[in-house]
Amino acid sequence: MELVLFNLANGLIVGAFYVLMALGLSLIINLSNVVNFAHGNFLAIGGYLAFTLTPYIGFWGALLVSPLLTAVFGYFIEQVLIRHVYARNHIYSLLLTFGLGFILQDVCRFIWGPSPLPLGIPDILSLPITEELFFITWYRVFMVAVVIVAVSGLFAFLRFTRVGMRIRAGTLDLDTVSALGVNVAALRSYNFAVGSFLAGLAGVLAAGQIGLNPNMGDDLIMPSFIAIIVGGVGSLTGTLLGGLLIGVAAALTTVFYPAGAEAVIYVIMAIVLLIRPRGLLGEEGMLT
Amino acid sequence: MNENFLSRHRQLLIVWALLLTVPFWLPMLGGYTALAGRVVVFALAAMSFNLLLGFTGIMSFGHAAYFGLGAYGCGLFMKFVTASTLLGVLAGTLVGGIAGTLFGLLLVRRRGVYFAMVTIAFGQVCFYIAYKWDEFTGGYDGLRGFARAPIDFGIFKLDIAASNNAFYYFVVAIFGLAVGLQALILKSPFGRTMLAIRENERRARFLGIPIEKHIWLAFSISCFFTALAGSLYALLNNFADPLGLNYIMSGNIVMITVMGGMRTFWGPLVGAVLFVALQDYVSSMTTNWMFFVGLTFVAVVLFFPRGLMGMLQKRAGT
Amino acid sequence: MSTVPKLEVKGATKQFGSLVAVSDVSMRVMPGELRAVIGPNGAGKTTFFNLITGFFPPTSGDILLDGQNINSIPAAGRVKLGMGRTFQITEIFPELTVRENARIAVETGLGFSLRGWLTGADEKRVRDASDEVMTMANLTAKADRLVGELSHGDQRSAEIAMALALKPTLLLLDEPTAGMGDEETYQVTGLIRRLHRDSKYTIVLIEHDMRVVFHLADRISVLAEGKLLAEGTPAEIAANEHVQNAYLGKAE
Repeated sequence: MELVLFNLANGLIVGAFYVLMALGLSLIINLSNVVNFAHGNFLAIGGYLAFTLTPYIGFWGALLVSPLLTAVFGYFIEQVLIRHVYARNHIYSLLLTFGLGFILQDVCRFIWGPSPLPLGIPDILSLPITEELFFITWYRVFMVAVVIVAVSGLFAFLRFTRVGMRIRAGTLDLDTVSALGVNVAALRSYNFAVGSFLAGLAGVLAAGQIGLNPNMGDDLIMPSFIAIIVGGVGSLTGTLLGGLLIGVAAALTTVFYPAGAEAVIYVIMAIVLLIRPRGLLGEEGMLT
Repeated sequence: MNENFLSRHRQLLIVWALLLTVPFWLPMLGGYTALAGRVVVFALAAMSFNLLLGFTGIMSFGHAAYFGLGAYGCGLFMKFVTASTLLGVLAGTLVGGIAGTLFGLLLVRRRGVYFAMVTIAFGQVCFYIAYKWDEFTGGYDGLRGFARAPIDFGIFKLDIAASNNAFYYFVVAIFGLAVGLQALILKSPFGRTMLAIRENERRARFLGIPIEKHIWLAFSISCFFTALAGSLYALLNNFADPLGLNYIMSGNIVMITVMGGMRTFWGPLVGAVLFVALQDYVSSMTTNWMFFVGLTFVAVVLFFPRGLMGMLQKRAGT
Repeated sequence: MSTVPKLEVKGATKQFGSLVAVSDVSMRVMPGELRAVIGPNGAGKTTFFNLITGFFPPTSGDILLDGQNINSIPAAGRVKLGMGRTFQITEIFPELTVRENARIAVETGLGFSLRGWLTGADEKRVRDASDEVMTMANLTAKADRLVGELSHGDQRSAEIAMALALKPTLLLLDEPTAGMGDEETYQVTGLIRRLHRDSKYTIVLIEHDMRVVFHLADRISVLAEGKLLAEGTPAEIAANEHVQNAYLGKAE
């Protein structure tokens, strides 16, 4: 039972990571129709920036500043590279971000070295929460809390701010939003920055748990894709659900059949595609 | 259509003259024939992929799966069933092709980036299976323990095991049959519906073409050919590599196609030449090969999106 | 004269949420007739077309083709029953030649679209049929040009040719001269008239250009705000006060 509990908790944490990654990806796909292959590398950059910043501003400072810098970096990349391919065949945006991912990975390797690095976290966070629940450190609880705050923040941003509302409207009907005089190009840039912020945040949190290495984002990108596919096209709530679902499913599978842990998320995807092709919360007619 | 110096017949003549004389001129340029074998195998994979991307307008980003399944299918068959090279190639082609046909069923209703995402995910499934199931597939180290054997045609024996040149001509012969068949498909009524779907899916649907069925069939055909290329890839080094199943390999196939020219028949072959040369050169020059390969991807997308053949034809044509 | 109407619409209504796009419209189009549907922007003309061609089902009402109720038949099935359609924005295969465009349509119409090869006889059938529709659309001289490079009027002709390749008995043309200059309008109008007078097609067309409408139509139906405002011969419509108030009096 304890093992199940442990893995359930673990699954929620892993799922929370998938959610952070997948929400960022999903935002960009919904508004710009670009699958950002380099999203995992934005995550790594967020983590490495935190590593560099921690000695000066501490973990707490880095937790805030590093995602912001990642967002700025994302904004810059969108301006310089990504925006040139919006009007073109989707294959170009895939290839572009695919190549970008290669470049960023080598850049991280060049700046911070190829060997794994640890990210120091405050002592209080590395303690277990109780004697009996020794397997759950405060850091894990903290991570889940940060993810909850970030996700709530994102949904509030989309609902209550002007830019957020425009992003949501643009997701539903870009032509109309454009016809209403909204600057779609700028909107896509902001949106890309928001997505990058989420990746950067995930990077800091992940670095505190598993440390840093140049390809740390690679293992997270595929589950994020699956979270989006399972959750449903065009639905952020769906992505949220999809991420948690596959995180928990993978963790629980570990209890009973460890070798199948990675396979199970693909199985879930196949089942969803078979019986509900538009995904759990995908909208009818948005099978594009 | 376009009466220019790159007319279809002339292209055909140039391509085959160059391919058939490789063992004579490549060593003079400092290359070796096995390198040319790699080019031809990648070219076949990319041309098969291009049936989808360039001619049906459908974007798969997971063709490494069918390529890799072909390689493993061929290798496993030769290792555990019988050491016949031709039967191995057949087995690999069937394994990859049938897997693609089944996956295709789940794919056909998706479009655009979602189609790409699902194909990537399916590709990774195959990668994980090859990676995890080590007692059978060799896991991370790849599959060894099989070797191409001489082929006995009765009248004469083609020793593809000992002679690199003989093996090269074996690969080129299969390549010729495969792309010849592809050309016939593209010229058929079915091939024209592929073009129609690429050009305007809505119109095609309103003509009464059952789009989903056609995309499925095109996907399936493309996977069979890609798996054939994968089988040959396994014979190239007598080795099946799990990285041949990885999404990075899928990206390479896409890149080869785009770099050469995705709207042209021979573009992927040209792309394969460029790609293999670049890969060979960069990996011998620097350890930061990812950086340079990535840079090439970005540069091609931003500055040469039509690919080399596309640019040549455009210049010569209109 | 007790022939069955080619197309009959009985009390068709289409609602999108609270918006009534088409409201209780009835219409009988007899075989060989050329009917124009006119009305100001937003009158529900294209929605009405989409109901007929089966893009979506009517909220209420019936659509009959040759006296047979086709409410439950989807768009693709209606094409097989002989309904050919062109769109407001020309829908063609731009980077293929005129001949390839025609061939794709012909081959689909003959049920060859899944074939990997054609026998000599089938090949000849396809070639003859393609040549025939290209001749009808006056595009034979341009057969090997890419459709996307042709003039607006020729592209429209090519689109109509593709619709003809499916051997329709009823042609629905959605604003065939939209966005064209005088010369191109003249060209497309000529094609439609030939199809009507010489080849006896039954045609329903939506049109904005009143010169075209009064020149071509046997009868005219006027839609306004989703309702049928009037119906009659061009002369009757021209004299109708309601129509003049609602529509003709206003500049487009």
